[in-house]
Amino acid sequence: MGRTSKDKRDVYYRLAKENGWRARSAFKLLQLDEEFHLFQGVTRAVDLCAAPGSWSQVLSQKIGGQGSGHVVAVDLQAMAPLPGVLQIQGDITQVRLSTAKEIIQHFEGCPADLVVCDGAPDVTGLHDVDEYMQAQLLLAALNIATHVLKPGGCFVAKIFRGRDVTLIYSQLRVFFSNVLCAKPRSSRNSSIEAFAVCQGYDPPEGFLPDLTKPLLDHSYDFNQLDGPTRIIVPFVTCGDLSSYDSDRSYPLDLEDGSEYKYTPPTQPPISPPYQEACTLKKKGRLAKELRPQDCPISTVDTLSQPLAAPQRHTLLAPEVRKPVAQGPLCPFSEPTVEDSEMNCSP
Amino acid sequence: MDAPEDYVWPRATSELILLPVTGLECVGDRLLAGEGPDVLVYSLDFGGHLRMMKRVQNLLGHYLIHGFRVRPEPNGDVDSEAMVAVFGSKGLRIVKVSWGPGRFRELWRSGLWNMSDWIWDARWLEGNVALALGHNSVVLYDPVVGCMLQEVPCTDRCTLSSACLIGDTWKELTIVAGAVSNQLLVWYPAAALIDNKPVAPDRRVSGHVGVIFSMSYLESKGLLATASEDRSVRIWKVGDLRVPGGRVQNIGHCFGHSARVWQVKLLENYLISAGEDCVCLVWSHEGEILQAFRGHQGRGIRAIAAHERQAWVVTGGDDSGIRLWHLVGRGYPGSGVSALCFKSRSRPGTLKAVTLAGSWRLLAVTDTGALYLYDLEVKCWEQLLEDKRFQSYCLLEAAPGPEGFGLCAMANGEGRVKVVPINTPTAAVDLTLFRGKVHSLSWALRGYEELLLLASGPGGVVACLEITAAPTGKAIFVKERCRYLLPPSKQRWHTCSAFLPPGDFLVCGDRRGSVLLFPSRPALLKDLGVGGKAGAVTGALGAGSGSGGGETALTEWGPVSTLPSLHGKQGVTSVTCHGGYVYTTGRDGAYYQLFVRGGQLQPVLRQKSCRGMNWVAGLRMVADGSMVILGFHANEFVVWSPRSHEKLHIVNCGGGHRSWAFSDTEAAMAFAYLKDGDVMLYRALGGCTRPHVILRESLHGREITCVKRVGTITLGPEYEVPSFMQPDHLEPGSEGPGLTDIVITCSEDTTVCVLALPTATGSAHALTAVCNHISSVRALAVWGIGTPGGPQDPRPGLTAHVVSAGGRAEMHCFSIMVTPDPSTPSRLACHVMHLSSHRLDEYWDRQRNRHRMVKVDPETRYMSLAVCELDRPGLGPLVAAACSDGAVRLFLLQDSGRRLQLLAETFHHKRCVLKVHSFTHEAPNQRRRLFLCSAATDGSLAFWDLTTVLDHGSGALEPPADPGLPYRLGTPCLTVQAHSCGVNSLHTLPTREGHLVASGSEDGSLHVFVLAMEAPELEEAMGGDLVPQLHVLEEYSVPCAHAAHVTGLKILSPSLMVSASIDQRLTFWRLGHGEPTFMNSTVYHVPDVADMDCWPVSPEFGHRCALGGQGLEVYNWYD
Repeated sequence: MGRTSKDKRDVYYRLAKENGWRARSAFKLLQLDEEFHLFQGVTRAVDLCAAPGSWSQVLSQKIGGQGSGHVVAVDLQAMAPLPGVLQIQGDITQVRLSTAKEIIQHFEGCPADLVVCDGAPDVTGLHDVDEYMQAQLLLAALNIATHVLKPGGCFVAKIFRGRDVTLIYSQLRVFFSNVLCAKPRSSRNSSIEAFAVCQGYDPPEGFLPDLTKPLLDHSYDFNQLDGPTRIIVPFVTCGDLSSYDSDRSYPLDLEDGSEYKYTPPTQPPISPPYQEACTLKKKGRLAKELRPQDCPISTVDTLSQPLAAPQRHTLLAPEVRKPVAQGPLCPFSEPTVEDSEMNCSP
Repeated sequence: MDAPEDYVWPRATSELILLPVTGLECVGDRLLAGEGPDVLVYSLDFGGHLRMMKRVQNLLGHYLIHGFRVRPEPNGDVDSEAMVAVFGSKGLRIVKVSWGPGRFRELWRSGLWNMSDWIWDARWLEGNVALALGHNSVVLYDPVVGCMLQEVPCTDRCTLSSACLIGDTWKELTIVAGAVSNQLLVWYPAAALIDNKPVAPDRRVSGHVGVIFSMSYLESKGLLATASEDRSVRIWKVGDLRVPGGRVQNIGHCFGHSARVWQVKLLENYLISAGEDCVCLVWSHEGEILQAFRGHQGRGIRAIAAHERQAWVVTGGDDSGIRLWHLVGRGYPGSGVSALCFKSRSRPGTLKAVTLAGSWRLLAVTDTGALYLYDLEVKCWEQLLEDKRFQSYCLLEAAPGPEGFGLCAMANGEGRVKVVPINTPTAAVDLTLFRGKVHSLSWALRGYEELLLLASGPGGVVACLEITAAPTGKAIFVKERCRYLLPPSKQRWHTCSAFLPPGDFLVCGDRRGSVLLFPSRPALLKDLGVGGKAGAVTGALGAGSGSGGGETALTEWGPVSTLPSLHGKQGVTSVTCHGGYVYTTGRDGAYYQLFVRGGQLQPVLRQKSCRGMNWVAGLRMVADGSMVILGFHANEFVVWSPRSHEKLHIVNCGGGHRSWAFSDTEAAMAFAYLKDGDVMLYRALGGCTRPHVILRESLHGREITCVKRVGTITLGPEYEVPSFMQPDHLEPGSEGPGLTDIVITCSEDTTVCVLALPTATGSAHALTAVCNHISSVRALAVWGIGTPGGPQDPRPGLTAHVVSAGGRAEMHCFSIMVTPDPSTPSRLACHVMHLSSHRLDEYWDRQRNRHRMVKVDPETRYMSLAVCELDRPGLGPLVAAACSDGAVRLFLLQDSGRRLQLLAETFHHKRCVLKVHSFTHEAPNQRRRLFLCSAATDGSLAFWDLTTVLDHGSGALEPPADPGLPYRLGTPCLTVQAHSCGVNSLHTLPTREGHLVASGSEDGSLHVFVLAMEAPELEEAMGGDLVPQLHVLEEYSVPCAHAAHVTGLKILSPSLMVSASIDQRLTFWRLGHGEPTFMNSTVYHVPDVADMDCWPVSPEFGHRCALGGQGLEVYNWYD
């Protein structure tokens, strides 16, 4: 396969590396902006779950360039510094006021115009768990947004369009006058991710933001599960058709004539959880199983625990074979049992 | 408004689910397994094996089961009656069951209680259940009435990733919560003085650098184990956790998994852990790995359970398989390596070769030409003979057969062969066959009737010796029967041989990797004039040319059939004949299935062995009908089972280059090798079979990408499947003719699987897995469905041709034949024959220095396939492929699938093409026309008129720029912009007006329109070059039909359509009255559904629908 293989499979991955973005997701925000003009009139923006920082890069470029713009990036993990972006290392799901307060402080008491969240949990492969965790992340981001967002502000967050995505829509519609589901063209067809674009922050009357209580996701009302009244918000595809297709595999020589040159990733991950395990593996120091045969003339069982007597297995189709005499040679008279048919032709 | 019943009909009901096994629990002699919302109950039978007893359906609605808690009865007997709390996601249900030996009854089930948050753990507290919820709170719940009694949150309301409840009363209830901050929080819900007042955590424990996925507490030793994202398992000394303020000490930090660890469980003396790397490890409490169980495939092991009394570990995987392991090891008592202590003053010389005669006698030869026998039962060495002529170079092979026939053969560098009866070595027979070195020796045994010894001499000459015994058993006779000649090559000798039943031919493999077929009695065949002709001709050519100059001038017979270099340059290592097939293995890491038809060898299927095993040394059929592969993996000898993907035996022997021998019987297996001048012997009782360890066969290791139904087989009552359950559990109507649907699935795990889905039992049987692809398989197409004996043959059976395609632009064509076979659980057997393959980048493999070059090729994936059956006789079908590089490619399959070549391509879409679909237009007085519809990621559909394209001289097919390149398909005859983004499903149905076309998209929308054809009448067409005109008549769009990608779509009739989506809804739509209207929808359990197929089964059974994604689910409904 080689290291160029991913460059061919995913043109945006390659373009991101070539353009200095920390991740291909930068294109997603750019394409969302093309459709919704998210950055128009925005001076204060918050990027939740920012690492590795590609959305912060876009925000600082689009807003920070306007002089008065402020960008705050929040993430649990450490992130390589970015010019024009204030970083807060904190957990958005940890329900404490400190994070929200810190953000407001940085904006000199003013609420934010835009809150974005491109965070996703490390997927486990168990769909229901992953979908739940993603929903919790989104609700935690929404909880922060209710503290820092100005009325009429905008909130953009990643969603997984799985079984219960309609519940998230119904919850977002409580807080925003306009909720859409958008998918930029740089997001692959095969991916279930999409972005909830919520415009016009308008909390219900009497709503008091409370970070001490987590927002819990809605549950299905009667008939909402499989009836015709599920809330499915309008879907918008962002990015124009002339842009690159994220599902298409491109040859390394793109049509614009530029010659291919391998670019290493812009920002490798900082201290991932598996780091120690990988180091140990590299040094061959992962624990290995003790095998009885590695030490010859050993006793049979390495385990001390007594176990039930070994069971003689029963054969599914006992072979009819007479015992062979242990004489010098038995006469060749036994009929053969197996391999009697050789005329099978599929 | 329509009548309300219209919304009810048709209603789909789930019939079969194959999902990751997410919950396992051993209860007495039973095992509970959670699969989706269902519980599978396994029970220990009289033979001491776990058998599936009952599937309790739909316990958790649309939630998936993540765990069970059985209520400890203070005086009740858990072996006859039990209260089981089943939980998963946000759902909880209690079910009371009565179970005795061989019977199961559900006595009562509570309502399905929905919690406000995720349930991480549950625990019975007398009659109530305590639940640990998603945001660090604990709830006391009355599960009978269904009401919450108390809810206590923690002051730290973080999101949890796991939790563990300890204690048997509310007062002593302790929760250990794994927070997303990687910390463990220990707190006591009963510390809340007022209800709902948050409780502060008593202790915070840090250590892991990743999220904690699972924990287990061992009360008797005061230990806690945690499994984490950081790939480690930690063991903590915690003492009694129910006592606040205790000290927590990390006493073990165990790194052994190569990926995230999903599950951990503490036992009295061991710790078991399992994870994403599909390995289940058994640790001591001191952190040493005692056992490693490998065999699950795909994305990991999701559930573990232990049966302490039986010393069993049970694992459930993402591959939906359930396996049982013996805590003490591979279940082979007596396994281990021992040195046989050959070195002694009385036995001079060093060992040169070793062989096994049966599993209890071992023979070895030294460089002094002495042959020794070691009897494994007597445990002593005995010299059989000494012959100085065999001192510098000596080959040694014992005859095959259960006890090695009591014969062995030696050969030396001067062309001399000695056949030795082991019990009477004085009766040994010597023969000088060649003037030069004997390169190899091999035996061939036909039943107990005929025993041949083949010896390769110089110049590719193979002498065939016939060995017979005197009736007294005291003497043997060795007679040279004939000589064979191998095809020329540098290392020109044979490596292995076997009789092809009934015994007219010998199959041999040679050092050059070729497989050869020789007549076993060429002279006789020549006299009869059957098949020996080719041999005689070749033989005549070969005669005299470089023959070793044997003592008798014999004709050298050439092979009647050759598969040159089948196993590559490293050579063939073994041939085995079994069940009508020939199996060969080679040092190319593969094994081939072949058969002989009309005296010719034909390859059927190439299969690869396990990863990294490039030296396949042999193959054995074991008693349960499966096979095991022998081979060398780096410096280890491995016995590997392709059925269970498990290494049954691993011997660290140092590699296959030294002399080694293997023998197996039903009772024991033995492997002997030379190391450090001594004979080492590995023995294991129980042979190579592993009975009753796969409680449930696994399906695919990764997502299913395509599902296609091939056909239905009707099995008569003579194939009735005996049921383990009592007859009263069988539903009425399940008797009668047994209809079995044959469905093929393909997956990202690079395999294609043939499944049998009987309608009567609601079970699924995997008949065969085909693993030819080097990358993921994404699409399948089926054509030429028939019966094995032709249309007149009344016997049940099914044949079909299948094309599979996927990543790395790889395509394979094979045929399947499903026939009744009473010996299998499904009563069916599937034979697969590989016909042809194609890769766009095949040129790259032939390129030299390719590691230094950058491959510019886009590495296309095939996304979808469609077969277009031509009406022109003699011309095979066209296969259309949707390609990720933006092309639609047309392939021509000829010679009933044996030739696959690229015919034409078009880059019309310029974007990744997601779907292709073919259909024919037939109308009176018009020519039958073939159309192809393709759809891309921009939401556009293109229609191509293939009939016109294929008409010679029509000009629609532009000749290629370069003669080596395919033709170019011109412009489509119609394009429709149906969606704003990618089209993930496509289907058509002919109607009166034309064709109904429906497509479903990534944005959750459906698009339905009528395609009208204005085709020229037949008479007109004869005259001019008229092409049909396509028009869109009625066009409707349903924008928010689903909340995610619509990946399955089928128009069932002009008035009914069914769609399936990643939002896990199967929805029926009414057509024909303007816009499609929603009828009803059903929530199904398979996430990430990538494909759907529907078919009518029978009027009594109605329709069936198979959904494939991260699992497989089958629905049915009545028309």
